[in-house]
Amino acid sequence: MKVLTDIHTDFSAVANSRDIMVADNARWKTLREQAQHQFARMGLPGRKEEDWKYTSLWQFGQEQFVHQVSQPGYADIHELKLVEDAYRLVIVDGRVDLTASSIDRLPDGLTVTPLSQSIDRASEFLNQQISMEKPGFNAMNTMLMNEGVFIEVAENTKIDKPIELIVVNSGHTQHYAMHLRHVIVLGKDSQATFIETYAGNDKANGMTDVVTEITLAENAELFHYKLQRESLGHYHVATMAASQATDSKWHNTNISLGAKLARNDVHSQLLGEQSHVTMNGLYLVTGEQHVDNHTRIDHSVPNTTSEEVYKGVLDEQSHAVFNGKVIVHKDAQKTDANQSNRNLLLSRGCEIDTKPEMEIYADDVKCGHGSAVGQINEDQLFFLRSRGLDEVSARSLLTFAFAVDVIERIANQELKQSITQVIEKRLPKGGNHE
Amino acid sequence: MKMLEIKNLHASIEGKEILRGINLTVNAGEVHAIMGPNGAGKSTLSNVLTGREGYEITQGEVIYKGQNLLELEPEERARRGVFLAFQYPVEIPGVSNIYLLKAALNAIRKHQGLEELDAIDFLTLVRSKMALVKMDEQFLHRSVNEGFSGGEKKRNEILQMALLEPQLAIMDETDSGLDIDALKTVSEGVNALRSPERSFVMITHYQRLLDYIVPDFVHVLSEGRIVKSGDKELAKELEKSGYSWVHDAPEPEGQPA
Repeated sequence: MKVLTDIHTDFSAVANSRDIMVADNARWKTLREQAQHQFARMGLPGRKEEDWKYTSLWQFGQEQFVHQVSQPGYADIHELKLVEDAYRLVIVDGRVDLTASSIDRLPDGLTVTPLSQSIDRASEFLNQQISMEKPGFNAMNTMLMNEGVFIEVAENTKIDKPIELIVVNSGHTQHYAMHLRHVIVLGKDSQATFIETYAGNDKANGMTDVVTEITLAENAELFHYKLQRESLGHYHVATMAASQATDSKWHNTNISLGAKLARNDVHSQLLGEQSHVTMNGLYLVTGEQHVDNHTRIDHSVPNTTSEEVYKGVLDEQSHAVFNGKVIVHKDAQKTDANQSNRNLLLSRGCEIDTKPEMEIYADDVKCGHGSAVGQINEDQLFFLRSRGLDEVSARSLLTFAFAVDVIERIANQELKQSITQVIEKRLPKGGNHE
Repeated sequence: MKMLEIKNLHASIEGKEILRGINLTVNAGEVHAIMGPNGAGKSTLSNVLTGREGYEITQGEVIYKGQNLLELEPEERARRGVFLAFQYPVEIPGVSNIYLLKAALNAIRKHQGLEELDAIDFLTLVRSKMALVKMDEQFLHRSVNEGFSGGEKKRNEILQMALLEPQLAIMDETDSGLDIDALKTVSEGVNALRSPERSFVMITHYQRLLDYIVPDFVHVLSEGRIVKSGDKELAKELEKSGYSWVHDAPEPEGQPA
């Protein structure tokens, strides 16, 4: 088997220990047993596994992660919240911080609870959108998940404020590993905005392993924003997977700024006609950072649409991987799918491996895809300098300009502003571009 | 007052000598036209004056208001009052025109030791300058030159010039790609900016532009040298007889004052 054999953390032992509380739920227990079995059998993928060709987990395997906090963590969320007024759940070092959260006054038709407090309802949706067949983190997550957020929106309900999840690795416990599972269920004709932020103290050097499973009923619409700004010593492994019924819409924005190694698997299954998915992605990496985005869209029925734009800015010795798969199944006539991946390289030392893929088994479809890799345009740079901007500001401005259309597509204005500010700080010698 | 003095300027690109001893003096308030056939070195001259990379200065010097212009970075030249109106204004998707104008103006004001303008004062100023080149305010919020017509791009250049109020404006083939209406608008904009403190160097292939922006002096550039200088009548001669005769012209003697 093409797996990673040298793993210093004994994740299987952790699953059997008291560090991970097992909920008293039959389905959860069964899944956990299956996951343990699968993980013992397959472990983590090696680079010969096609989906991990450009991302090595060797260094990850060398890390000794801990699953018990040595002291309670604390996080100041004022700097982290992206919108003021929200239904907010805060998770620090794997545990819900209710004092920092604000989920006590929810409107009718909205459920936002820690996963651990709604196990029976949530368990119906566990592992519906993900598979444990391949070696990977889905089995690990299923084996070790012990917290997360459960969100349910009733039929015919439009949620007035964003639901914001903030996950912090406080750094109070070194090499702390979190395994989170989020379950989001939107009923028929409902609408919600979900914002998730992952952040960590510079000393954290831990791991966040998270799976988000989303079920969108008929004509449900989810605006979904993820901002990963963890510390540069951190590992971040995430899956976001949705199944979409007729007329449903999933607008996913996936921004990766932090972590030493970040891997995102984003998957939409368009199962009902007129369903639509938007996948917006932005990654800004520098130093020795490695970011890997694998996306997959299944057009399974006729008349579905998808729009995917992933953009990356790479500096210094960083490495980015993009693999976008769009599959138009046999009967999915009139599919309209567009995919692009564009990259801006700011230094000679960085590396991008980009692979947009389309597999089309229907004959009456409109599909386009492409990828591009470029550098700062010297004519634009000279033009800006000839207008008085110094070289560093001009480069920074052009970098921001490259990324801006991903930000422009954010529907919520307040969120757009705060994400703009976060990104500006991450630009080379970041400046203010407002 | 001498604004610009070019003395025996030689410049090469990739080892090939393009400028081969240019001498030119531009006083404050003067408008000079530099004309010449393709390949004479016109674009090289404007690029060297504004600091584009890739050129090697092998001999000579350029003095701008008593300073050695060639040792300054492009942005330092801009902040000291040198402006280049581009032949082909570049499109910058993702950077709004208003952001560019504000960043450029503030960079120059900062250099002059002035405070940044607040939003209201800035907008008032920009609006007055836009009226000069008959530009609609919607252009402020569009990306720089993106999707602009040729005429709109050139008007945008003049707008930047009007806002930044340079002391030395170098205009590279400003008339190229302009229809007659756009040419008139652009020329009116430039003429409104003429003042005793401001000098212009207009680089142009065709005489047409000089009907609208009347120069004080006309120079003919050929094979990297100024081979003839005169007043605006020289441009009209060129219009009649073309550039074929300039190759045979003797080395010029002296310069217009």
